[in-house]
Amino acid sequence: MGVIRAEPVRVTDWAAKSVGAAWRAFDLQLATFAGLLAAVGLVMAYTNSVESGSSPLEAGTTFARGLMWAGIAAVAFVVATTFDYRWFKTLSWPVYALQLGLLVVTLAIGDGIGGSARWVTVGPFTFQFSELAKILMIVVLAQYLASRQARLDSLRAILGACVLVGPPLALVMLQPDLGTSLVFAAILAGMLWMSGASLIWLGALGAGVVAMVPIAWTYILRDYQKERLTSFLNPTPDITGSGYQLYQSQIAVGSGGLFGRGLTNGTQAQGDFLPVQTTDFVFSVLAEELGFVGGLVLFVLFGLLLWRVLVAGWRSRDPFGTMFAAGVASMILFQLVVNVGMVMGIMPITGIPLPFVTHGGASLVSMAIGLGILQSINIRQTRAEW
Amino acid sequence: VNTYLDRSTVPDRRFSRFLVFGLVVVLAVGALTARLFYLQIANGTEYAAISARQRTVLEPIPAPRGLIYDRKGRLLVDNVPTFAVKIRPADLPNSQRDAVVARLAALLSTDASEIHGAIDGNPGSAFDLVRVAQDVDQATAQLISEAGYELPGVEVGVEARRQYTDGALMSHLLGYTGPVSAEQLPDLRAKGYQPDDLLGKVGLEAQYETELRGIYGSESVARDATGRRTQVLQTVQEAQPGASLTLTIDTRAQKHAEKALKWAMKKIGMTRGVVIAMNPQTGEILAMVSLPTYDNNRFARGISTADYAKLLKDKDKPLLNHAIQAHYAPGSTYKLVAGTGALADREITPSTRVMTRPYLTLGSTKFYEWNRRGWGACDIYCGFGHSSDTFFYQLAGMLGIDRLGYWANQYGFGEPTGVDLPSEVAGIVPTNAWKQEALGAKIFPGETYQAGIGQGYDAVTPLQLINAYAALANGGTLYQPQIVREITGPDGEIVRPFEPEVIHELDVKPSVLRVMRNAARETVTLRHTYNLVDLPIKIAGKSGTAEFGTPDSRGRLPYSSFFVGFTPKDPVKGSFNKADSELVVMAFAHDSRTVGNAATEIVKYFLQLHYGIEKDYRLPALLDRGNFYQND
Repeated sequence: MGVIRAEPVRVTDWAAKSVGAAWRAFDLQLATFAGLLAAVGLVMAYTNSVESGSSPLEAGTTFARGLMWAGIAAVAFVVATTFDYRWFKTLSWPVYALQLGLLVVTLAIGDGIGGSARWVTVGPFTFQFSELAKILMIVVLAQYLASRQARLDSLRAILGACVLVGPPLALVMLQPDLGTSLVFAAILAGMLWMSGASLIWLGALGAGVVAMVPIAWTYILRDYQKERLTSFLNPTPDITGSGYQLYQSQIAVGSGGLFGRGLTNGTQAQGDFLPVQTTDFVFSVLAEELGFVGGLVLFVLFGLLLWRVLVAGWRSRDPFGTMFAAGVASMILFQLVVNVGMVMGIMPITGIPLPFVTHGGASLVSMAIGLGILQSINIRQTRAEW
Repeated sequence: VNTYLDRSTVPDRRFSRFLVFGLVVVLAVGALTARLFYLQIANGTEYAAISARQRTVLEPIPAPRGLIYDRKGRLLVDNVPTFAVKIRPADLPNSQRDAVVARLAALLSTDASEIHGAIDGNPGSAFDLVRVAQDVDQATAQLISEAGYELPGVEVGVEARRQYTDGALMSHLLGYTGPVSAEQLPDLRAKGYQPDDLLGKVGLEAQYETELRGIYGSESVARDATGRRTQVLQTVQEAQPGASLTLTIDTRAQKHAEKALKWAMKKIGMTRGVVIAMNPQTGEILAMVSLPTYDNNRFARGISTADYAKLLKDKDKPLLNHAIQAHYAPGSTYKLVAGTGALADREITPSTRVMTRPYLTLGSTKFYEWNRRGWGACDIYCGFGHSSDTFFYQLAGMLGIDRLGYWANQYGFGEPTGVDLPSEVAGIVPTNAWKQEALGAKIFPGETYQAGIGQGYDAVTPLQLINAYAALANGGTLYQPQIVREITGPDGEIVRPFEPEVIHELDVKPSVLRVMRNAARETVTLRHTYNLVDLPIKIAGKSGTAEFGTPDSRGRLPYSSFFVGFTPKDPVKGSFNKADSELVVMAFAHDSRTVGNAATEIVKYFLQLHYGIEKDYRLPALLDRGNFYQND
């Protein structure tokens, strides 16, 4: 049994370490796969901009904004990498407070479609704080679980983790954003699993969640949410109503064939048959224009990225690192499966973005911060300790 | 602070958990790949076909609507291109609707409620265009197209509008076109109509909708999800223009009829009247005027709800063609039925004399002669010529109600004439069976008397009345009146030539009708119709006065007047022994209440105009309000 101890930091500490050693520990593959995925996102932004008839580099187009956010994300990635992740252990409660604060601010002054409050507008920027809140949640949970590693066969520690996730999840539910709150739940589940929590209690918890479903269905979910959740189960969807997006996106994906119609040639997207084509349904454009091969490449990239994330967790001598990697992996996997599954009609419609690819600054920057922290963890596990 | 890992802490990295997590990743990505394979490779062709199908649609090409000419080839309606403003509700965000509609209303200088009304009354789906304004001038149309980005969902298009040459003069005949209504749409959709189509609503435009519409062509069009055309790919079928109609109507006669009626209406201060002229040898209607009327061009341009409501509320019902869509008690003109019936059934002979009296008594009720004196013993010429009420009470009594009804049916009363105009009414011919069904009682003898002189339950349309006299004038053939003479295909070939339509031959010998024609001539020569006999042409006919409504404070009922007359083929030298008449004219002056018979004066004026008689025989003094029986 060990504990994490804190001592006053010495300013010379970082400088004393060799930058070369840090570079060697830096996971170049992880950065490469993430960069390629972000590049796919930019390509999709480009094709969407061309299809909407504007010159792609014109200010304000999807592509121009995508480039800007990619730049910001790269900076955020570098900053997060150089930042000593161990500060998070000390600062876990302030981080938690910051997370709740961001979500409360969103609820208070946020904008959204149809009376919802999802993003905050500051000057020319709109930012969806709930994306950043996911990373902060992972930080808080990683610290919580890592510090209680010995006691994870007790129900108390598991319930404690649940209690931690509760308030942010509820705040996101209030926006209302069902998709993001499900991501919070997925992060919790994945991290609990990887923490080594007792299988019995995990099973009990799972049973409890299943039991909650009817209650949530009756009292918490709104009608449109239920409609979206069930429309994928309907074999003959109401193609002019709630099933329209689903139907059109399946047509888009299906008509892509093996090699696709070619970039910027997607007729489904061009004809505006696909709603929200630059955001949640971006995969349908990709599948239509780049075909089965393009989709497969995307999946392989995600698979490789997840592999590198898990490797980082496995290599971490620090349980915080393991837990953090578990959180990031759970988040990416869940969002991938739900988003792409939704586009292909095997998952309910929830507003979950496809990491890196979906156009949206908050999602990309948050991912960059998450992976940056992971790199920070990578380069701070010295070989000697391994 | 600086943190470090306490050596005593052993990270608990359980390989099994990593392995399971890794497996989940592999399974999840594998499942996604399988689904992708299923959609793109296994069913790719099918989805590609759906995609192609929803991008290209067959859209109709409107066919130019057929034109309408009068019998002399004068163009009565033309198609003119106009700008129409339409809205696709699906493209108009609800949050912006009020602002967009307000702006559009300002541009069109109309009321926002009109536009809201049009959108809410949209018969199709939210993806179908709704016409919110038609006949928009070019400057406004341009302004609206250029403001496109401020007016989401608003589109400006060119469409053909009907332009009626003579407007109000022909409105009751031609009718007008208007937008498809929500109730009509389901049926019309099956026939290829679009929700924003125009179609004939009333009059000939409605009656001959199929012929006039032509056959819409189709073209395959590439479109986007909102249904906007992106490009025309190919014309699948050319549109076939609608057929043209040539009417039996003579614009000149129509104008004369309107002029004569308007003159009397203005002189009397009367608000409702009808004039019809037809050729009794064929059933062709030469003129049909019903006043008050309306301007059908206002409908073609898109009438406002307020203006339409005003027309609907008008007590004289300008939207109704009173010649066929309303029925009235015919008064003494109906004595033709009892006279013909009594002669045909041999109740009387042409020389039989019947005593006319100041009144007849039935039980305790007195049935008065209209002049309260009578003319002594009268034959049919005297009885019909003086329009003796007591004479015809007795003839009706001899026939009985059911036989009287039979002869009324013979003359075409009680059934729509079948004229090619919509919404014709049948009128009422009272019989025992009719009263049993309508009122649950048998006819009383007094009611038979009333029925004999065109009062009581008798109700006829002006067209039925003139058609009955046409049968008299032509020697016993009841024709179906016709408005459309010929239908000409788009290539100029006559697809339906004119042919008289016989309803039936009257069940009488020609000699009976000859007697009745000469009796009708007696009406004129006895100066029952004042100076009509002085005209340089020969006319036979019958006037009528019919009471209706509720009595005034002195117990007097308001009354209308009728006159139906016909001329021989040679109007100067001809004789009514022959059944060669080619012109029957009738006038109906509703609620005339004049000293003399107003309808007779109207017909007289029409005949003067029609035959170009220079001397004016009109007697305006007869058109003074009288409000008592001076004439019958």
